[in-house]
Amino acid sequence: MEDGVLLEVESVSKSFGALAALARVSLTVRAGEVFSVIGPNGAGKSTLFNVVAGLYAPTAGRVVLQGEEITGLGPEVINHRGLAKTFQITNIFPGISVYDNVRVAAQSRVPLSGRLPSLWRRPDVDGPVMELLAAFGLTGRRHELAQHLSHGEQRYLEICLALATDPTLLLLDEPTAGMTPGETKGATALIRQIARSRGLTVLLIEHDMSVVMGISDRIAVLHFGEKIAEGPPEAIRSDPQVIDAYLGGAED
Amino acid sequence: MSKAVSWRVALVFGALAALPLTPWMSKYYMLLAFDALLFGAVAMSLDLLMGYTGLVSFGHAAFFGLGAYSTAVLLERGVLSLWLCLGLAVVVVGAYALTVSYFATTRRGIYFALLTLIFAEVVYTFFRYTQTFGGSDGIQGLPAPQLLPGVAIDTPVRIYYLVVAYLLLAYLACRVLVWSHFGRVLVAIRENEDRARFLGYNVQRYKMGVCLISAILTGLAGALYPGRAAYATPDLLHWSISGEFIIMVMIGGLGTLVGPIIGGAFFILLQEKVSSYVEWYSIIVGLVLVLIVLFAPRGLLSFRRAPRGRPGGEAA
Ligand SMILES: Nc1ncnc2c1ncn2[C@@H]1O[C@H](COP(=O)(O)OP(=O)(O)O)[C@@H](O)[C@H]1O
Ligand SMILES: [Mg+2]
Repeated sequence: MEDGVLLEVESVSKSFGALAALARVSLTVRAGEVFSVIGPNGAGKSTLFNVVAGLYAPTAGRVVLQGEEITGLGPEVINHRGLAKTFQITNIFPGISVYDNVRVAAQSRVPLSGRLPSLWRRPDVDGPVMELLAAFGLTGRRHELAQHLSHGEQRYLEICLALATDPTLLLLDEPTAGMTPGETKGATALIRQIARSRGLTVLLIEHDMSVVMGISDRIAVLHFGEKIAEGPPEAIRSDPQVIDAYLGGAED
Repeated sequence: MSKAVSWRVALVFGALAALPLTPWMSKYYMLLAFDALLFGAVAMSLDLLMGYTGLVSFGHAAFFGLGAYSTAVLLERGVLSLWLCLGLAVVVVGAYALTVSYFATTRRGIYFALLTLIFAEVVYTFFRYTQTFGGSDGIQGLPAPQLLPGVAIDTPVRIYYLVVAYLLLAYLACRVLVWSHFGRVLVAIRENEDRARFLGYNVQRYKMGVCLISAILTGLAGALYPGRAAYATPDLLHWSISGEFIIMVMIGGLGTLVGPIIGGAFFILLQEKVSSYVEWYSIIVGLVLVLIVLFAPRGLLSFRRAPRGRPGGEAA
């Protein structure tokens, strides 16, 4: 399904009290592409991801994943439909080992999971776990507690957790937040490469403009909760409204 | 389980089995040992919630007391089979635990502790202030339960061996459980509940599952109690008993299973020994507990070794 639509966000709104964090946002993500969402701080990017992934139910609108409506379903259900997410603020299991982190994520997908024998049996997921750790250069750190990893390593570990659930669509909320420019470059290249090799579709929030322009197939721009532009990187870069609202003044 | 651990378990339970053969084990000490091991087992089952899942139940006395009353009601009516007593306890405690945990797990944090406490208080009030099961006197003067028809568990040594067998089985069950797929998810929930949800785990189902298991283990221990005491009274359901269970887990060491067994046994022995000397024993007991919490915040077990990281974790 090279040209198939994977995710449709249809006129989604989300309010927190009087604050309209999202106002009638629509977008269409196709299978296999890297789709980025950009916009100034507070524009509603993280809120959009949280609605799609099931943390918040939208105030209005629909979310459709692989042809099935997922609006208002819980995150654990949506994850089973093939969506995995990382957070803007690192979200891992801090007090257990790096290996145990990825293992508990990987065992979410074995047939045993959720069945009675899981009370006394334990699946062997060593293969996929070691493979993921190797892909992110964490093999040598696997016995460390996750909380003892460096910031960059923790960001990688969280991506490992998400990938371990074998998603079709991966949502990354500022995966390079807090990284140095050098680290950001490496991380971006790695994400791109892993997405390609696994045939993943990626929905990405990223604040580094050079990264976004380099990695994305399509970009949507949010501004005060509204989508003001969508298109390929070249079009976004030259869109007068985007330049006015975002690229002009607020570039970081 | 690793070979070294199996050996250690075999050794400890061998020693426990040999204990009645030693000359100084009077009837009094046999019953004291029964209490120590029984409440050690209860603390261990509470550790599944507190140490592994990060849930503090303030209502475990209700599980224990309901188990005790299940046995008492049957013994009073002349149904003496231990297995029927245990069976009834599983059904009663299981049904109650599912109800409580369904409501308690819809909320997080302090609400879980609060709801378990409120439910337990309702149960306490029912047993204490209605005459359905004897009111404040409870059910007294019970006959001994029977292992098989005609084989009554009516001596301190027999009831002691019963609790040793129960502790062994419960310990092995808990060990396997925390090692299993299920147990790994419990630790993940303790570490980061949201993360576990976003990895596809139905967190409420896991919490209800572990509540049910912990409650049934506690209820079974409760069901053994009238065999030793020949009564079941509402005191067993009181919230202060739930508080003592929590203290046993804390002083033993969260998330270790063995620690809470030691914590429970230590608590019982300390309370019994000190109270036989002075009236104001609870001050001394309290002081000792404060010292333990101050100087061994990870519990008695931490004097022996310093575990890496938080409890329940496991190297690959
Ligand atoms: N849980 C919440 N409760 C209340 N307000 C929120 C919540 N989450 C986000 N907001 C508000 O919604 C707006 C959009 O936030 P967010 O989606 O995090 O922006 P971005 O990720 O684009 O920086 C902000 O004004 C923020 O304060
Ligand atoms: Mg954000």
